[in-house]
Amino acid sequence: MPDTTEAPRPMTRPAPQPAAQAPASASRPVRFRGGGFVAEPRRWAALLAFVIAIAAWEASGRLRLVSPLFLPPPSAILLALQGLVADGSLARNLAASLMRIGVGWTLGTAAGVLVGFAMGIWSIARAIGLPAVSALFPIPKIALLPLFILWLGIGEASKFATIGLGVFFPTVIATYSAVDGVPRNLIRMGQSFNMPWLDVLRKVVLPGAMPGILAGFRISASIALILVVSAEMIGADYGIGAFVLNAGNLMLTDQLLAGVLVLSLLGLAIGTALSLLEKTLLKWR
Amino acid sequence: MNPRTRQFYGALGVGRRAVLALALGLGALSALPAPASAQGEKVTVAVLPLSSSAPIFIAHKRGYFSQEGLNAELRSFSAAQQVPVAVTSGDADFGITGLTAGFYNLAAKGTVKIVAAQSREEPGYQLSAYLATKAAYDAGFTTPAQFKGKRVATTTAGSTFHYMFGLLAEKYGFSTKDIQMVPLQDVPKMVAAFKGGQVEGMIAPVTVARQLEAEGSARILGWVGDVTPWQLGALFTSPETIRTRRATVEKFVRAYQRGAADYNNAFNVKDTTGQPGKGPGYDELLAIIAEATKQKPELVAVSLPFIDPQGRLLVDDVVRQTKFWQAEGQVDKALDPLSTVDLSFVNGHLLTQK
Repeated sequence: MPDTTEAPRPMTRPAPQPAAQAPASASRPVRFRGGGFVAEPRRWAALLAFVIAIAAWEASGRLRLVSPLFLPPPSAILLALQGLVADGSLARNLAASLMRIGVGWTLGTAAGVLVGFAMGIWSIARAIGLPAVSALFPIPKIALLPLFILWLGIGEASKFATIGLGVFFPTVIATYSAVDGVPRNLIRMGQSFNMPWLDVLRKVVLPGAMPGILAGFRISASIALILVVSAEMIGADYGIGAFVLNAGNLMLTDQLLAGVLVLSLLGLAIGTALSLLEKTLLKWR
Repeated sequence: MNPRTRQFYGALGVGRRAVLALALGLGALSALPAPASAQGEKVTVAVLPLSSSAPIFIAHKRGYFSQEGLNAELRSFSAAQQVPVAVTSGDADFGITGLTAGFYNLAAKGTVKIVAAQSREEPGYQLSAYLATKAAYDAGFTTPAQFKGKRVATTTAGSTFHYMFGLLAEKYGFSTKDIQMVPLQDVPKMVAAFKGGQVEGMIAPVTVARQLEAEGSARILGWVGDVTPWQLGALFTSPETIRTRRATVEKFVRAYQRGAADYNNAFNVKDTTGQPGKGPGYDELLAIIAEATKQKPELVAVSLPFIDPQGRLLVDDVVRQTKFWQAEGQVDKALDPLSTVDLSFVNGHLLTQK
């Protein structure tokens, strides 16, 4: 082994040849330059930027630089939020939306992972699935709402379908790409050792595809949050989406932003939960 | 980020762009054709392409605005809520549309003020229909009073449909809580829920009602104008415009009133047998409205609303609307109902009490 590494050295580094005359420079310590933009924790920076942005926002409202109708200051939004908590409507709206997101996302994701897996494994499924996904994914689900009403009514079923369909396609793409991206040599090795088909799937493909699938979950969870607003356009009395739509219709901008704040907090919570899931599921890395 | 994830994010970018394009499309508005003469002080009017804004279209086309020294530009919007928002944001100097709770919330913030009337529900005029599904009708749902306890389709809370159900409930001595209103955002989705039998009834614009009845999926139980007349829409501007450009508002209202007078001369006439007749300029005005609303003249002719010839408001009803929304918890209780109107631009507003 050392012989082979020794041989090409003069060929790859012809430049240092003249310098090699001076023996002192050969042992000169060189500062480590390969930082590679390593991310270091800078908690205070994010916090400070956040505090400054909020303070500037509040000040622009207080100083009447911006009309509170156009951009309600953070204090007004918190006040609106407090009102929602006080009369119990926040809990009722959250419960309704979480149920819809939970059921819709679970159904859409389960179906998406199954289809994506099938497409990653079987060529026939891939041949059918890829063009179908390309054709159906770009259809705006909102445009189909009237049809969903006819097919599924105005109850919870159409809301699950809106969220589920929206989540399904990105999950299919993420799962399919993840399965497709599992190193071939690992799969071939398992097959060469005559590993049972199911074991190859369970012990090689699934863990190998998991990072990609989980990244897909991150996207689809955010999509579910976005779609809960469109889902609740149809006959919803309660729900964060219904609340946001209603506040918009009534031009109550502080309540509108309070609802949006709840949605983004919900996104943050789901993101944190997914990070925890990633940590436990991807321990093997 | 590993290459696989990156590839995936790239794939999703398509979806995000599609969502963005859709959002832009929803917010888009189109400008109507410019007037023949583009002289004088520029005023922008936010309108919906509906017959109820006919006096604006007529005044625009017949040059009444330019005769007052105004260069009016009409900007067409797709939903009633957007019109007062356009006036609030300063994108339009005037707005004309149906009155919703959203409008009164903006009025409460002091950004819009009513100066004249648009269309109103009036006995004998078929503007909005009470509809029952065929199945509900066969099961005995045959009069508007029976809306109590029914499940109905509406657009949103705070819409004109919501208010019309409020008026109906008040008339027949029940409460809006006795009607289960299902919010569906827009009329096409209301129709979908109605046809699918998801609701038992709804209030629908005349064109939709006629079509559903012709298809056999709906029965018309009556007309809102006959049961509960009310001030459906109004012409409004911002208090700021009234303060700083009072003469402009006066000119604009004068031109608008001429349009309203023409409208009534042409359409609001009865022949000798008491049937609706054709007044002077009937065909010309019908063509103007058809062009502005992008509808066939025959369809426009059967769905013409009542518009007061002088733009006079049913002031009592504007007060009643404010109080209704306040009682429903949709509008700030601090809003003084009369602060939403400036009665000084039109003479002889219709009010029974001070």
